[in-house]
Amino acid sequence: MSAPILRVEALSKRFRGLLAISDVSFAVEPGSITSVIGPNGAGKSTLFNLVTGYLPPTNGTVAFKERTITGLATNRIAELGIARAFQIARPFRDLSVAENVRIGALFGKAGVRDVAATTTRALALAGMAHLAEEPASVLTVGQLRHLEVARAIATRADLLLADEPCAGLNPTETATMIDVLRRIRASGVTVVLVEHDMPSVMEVSDRVLVLESGRLIADGTPAEVSKNPQVIAAYLGTPD
Amino acid sequence: MSQRPALFVTIVLAAAVVVAALPLVLPPFYVRVGQLMIYSAGLAVAWTILGGFAGYASFGHAAFIGVGAFAAGLVEDRLSGLPVTLMLPVGLLVGGLACAILSAAVAYPILRLRGTFFAIAMLGVCHVCAELNNNLDVLQGSLGLNFPSIAPAGWDPATFFYELYLVAGVIVFLIAWQIQRSRFGAGLLSIREDEDTARMLGVPTERYKRQAFVISAVLTGLLGVIYAHSLGYITTDSVYRDDTNLNLIVYSLLGGLGTLFGPVIGAFMLVFITQVVLARLLDFHLFATGLLLVVLVLAAPGGVLGFVKSWRQRRRAAATVPAE
Amino acid sequence: MNLIAQTVADGLVLGGIYALAAVGFSLIFGVLHVINLSHGIIVLMGAYLALIFSETLRIDPLLTMPLVMVILFGVGYLYQRFLIQYAVDSSAFGSILLTFGVALMLHNIMIWVFSPDMKNITPTYAFTSMRLGPIVLDAVRVSCLVASLILLSCLAALLKFSPLGRVIRATAQQTLAARLCGVNVRHVYALTFAVSAAFAGAAGIVIGIILPFSPADEATWTLNAFVVVVLGGVGSPAGALIGGLLLGVVSTLTAQYIGPSFPNVTMFLLLVLLLLVRPQGLLGNAFAPSR
Repeated sequence: MSAPILRVEALSKRFRGLLAISDVSFAVEPGSITSVIGPNGAGKSTLFNLVTGYLPPTNGTVAFKERTITGLATNRIAELGIARAFQIARPFRDLSVAENVRIGALFGKAGVRDVAATTTRALALAGMAHLAEEPASVLTVGQLRHLEVARAIATRADLLLADEPCAGLNPTETATMIDVLRRIRASGVTVVLVEHDMPSVMEVSDRVLVLESGRLIADGTPAEVSKNPQVIAAYLGTPD
Repeated sequence: MSQRPALFVTIVLAAAVVVAALPLVLPPFYVRVGQLMIYSAGLAVAWTILGGFAGYASFGHAAFIGVGAFAAGLVEDRLSGLPVTLMLPVGLLVGGLACAILSAAVAYPILRLRGTFFAIAMLGVCHVCAELNNNLDVLQGSLGLNFPSIAPAGWDPATFFYELYLVAGVIVFLIAWQIQRSRFGAGLLSIREDEDTARMLGVPTERYKRQAFVISAVLTGLLGVIYAHSLGYITTDSVYRDDTNLNLIVYSLLGGLGTLFGPVIGAFMLVFITQVVLARLLDFHLFATGLLLVVLVLAAPGGVLGFVKSWRQRRRAAATVPAE
Repeated sequence: MNLIAQTVADGLVLGGIYALAAVGFSLIFGVLHVINLSHGIIVLMGAYLALIFSETLRIDPLLTMPLVMVILFGVGYLYQRFLIQYAVDSSAFGSILLTFGVALMLHNIMIWVFSPDMKNITPTYAFTSMRLGPIVLDAVRVSCLVASLILLSCLAALLKFSPLGRVIRATAQQTLAARLCGVNVRHVYALTFAVSAAFAGAAGIVIGIILPFSPADEATWTLNAFVVVVLGGVGSPAGALIGGLLLGVVSTLTAQYIGPSFPNVTMFLLLVLLLLVRPQGLLGNAFAPSR
């Protein structure tokens, strides 16, 4: 078993009176898909923001490839090999799909770059090759999500954090997106995603983390987690 | 054209040679208008490296014209023993250096601001530089500064400066062109589109912005040094001009903000309109520029090139509609 | 000691007037998110209108204020509703450039109509002064300060207590929600601009009484307003007052102790310092949703 690619230790985040994330620790294996689930308000987005450096933690550390990254600037984190795909896509509107992805290929992880090849590969992996010349402004929501993912993997990241990639997509689009994530895992990239679509999460994930009110209440395989009484209680409530 | 840089450069240089030959056939008034056109186009392109490419539109770039000009003039004054042929190179070196230092110093605080705050803060920088230049006697802003006459004997000075501006303008243009097609340029473009996302993708946004700012400032300053020499005598009011500040934005807006050719087209057009068309109506200039801005914003926000682009898109869309 | 007190007092008096001159700009920025570069020219319009009315109607300039405010209210409404609104819809920079363009056009028109020379509005009680302990205050300036403070309070009351004020604040905080509640946002924006223009004009009258003015001052008054907003915060009369007072005191202290030729330098350095340390101004954005 190789060393975890992402290690979070005793992470906490306090916003004035609210403890949004409380003493969360977990490790992510390289080449896996890990899903973070939990009821609304559990702190999933906050967790992502802490890992990617948008928010400084109140306590605890985040380590990427055994190297502490807490407190590093956002672009430094990208240079180390972490990418993020947002739920509210932010494409470069005046550029074409290919030009958008090319920005990821030109920058992102530090090291030798083959921009053209990386761009083509990222477009293919995300299923966007047929839309390469379209301006980003005409894409549908589903297509924009794929663009987000394509641009993120063009940065040659070793770890992709995807924030609700299936939110608002119909079942066909959701299946396509899950397929894309599988292809990404197959290409060697580790994926951590926040998602609400349970069937997809259970089907595609190697590991599932369950957050509730800022605390990690379960950490295991999909099968283990779905039988966990605390998880069931968090989602469905306890029978009275 | 982007696939064949050598071809592009050849065409640009060929066009430059043609333009260079014009003073042989043009009457002196038009040679002077030509000077102003080329000078303005150069300034516009230098401005657009920061304003058009990176999206940080500065309302105070005249600051660098002034700083470059005065730095050059003050040093040339001290070194009056030097042979005339060395005066301009020394002036350019000093002026460029002064702008580099000023812009590097100001960049840190000022590039923290975005959009309109940045624009107005730069206007403030220009006014402060002008004020300091004017009121500190050692800088001779109100007293004025004399520049040695550098036109070689036998050359008509108007033609000499025309050619000088042309050389400088082409250099500035090619620098901007090279930036636009480089990784640095792609980074600037992403900063303009969405700075936070660019940063998240690994673009070193802060460093790139500073670089663009300093390059833009230095190129502007160098052109300002030439301008000062062409005037022969400057005061604060000759160089720290609010109408220059305004025009620099209008050139790029008029031609097409964000493009490389836009500022050039815009500069040529605006200089032509004000110097040739409205030549006898000096009182009308402010009004005309203001009206132009209003019309541009309401009717053609993409400028000339934007208008052409959308016209072609509409034609293409109409052509693909099947006939009934 | 007396000199400092006098300088500070002069600064506060000046600052109250700066505050009035800036509050309209601040309101437009806070509610419409527009940087109105025609602000300075509207202030000057107030001054010139007061000059015309006080001379033709032979009344004290401060008494022309209601008339001038009503006129500029109407002008401001039309300007926003039928011109600036389209620029806002068009592009991000659109409103700032459009207002800049209009300012230039009006500047030129003012030069044609009024000439570029400095003018002054002279009230009947000029040249009297009052003593307040060791401090001497010019009666004209004091009355203008009082007028400014009264107007600022009226505006604050309008925003806080009147139905119009509530609608404006609601629209500023959550535009979409306001629309869904049936608010005609364009109309509200135009009313906000109208109010702002009226107060800018009133400020112009006050300024015209105290200082000589000419069309070339328009950029200065716009820049001043910008600085006041950065210093004091966006969208509230209280923020404008704080910013204005701060600017006034800094201006007079600089003029007294560093030299009368450097008012802009200190102001600008203060501006940069504040932008680095607390870019939202001392009182922050008055319309920002509470955490």
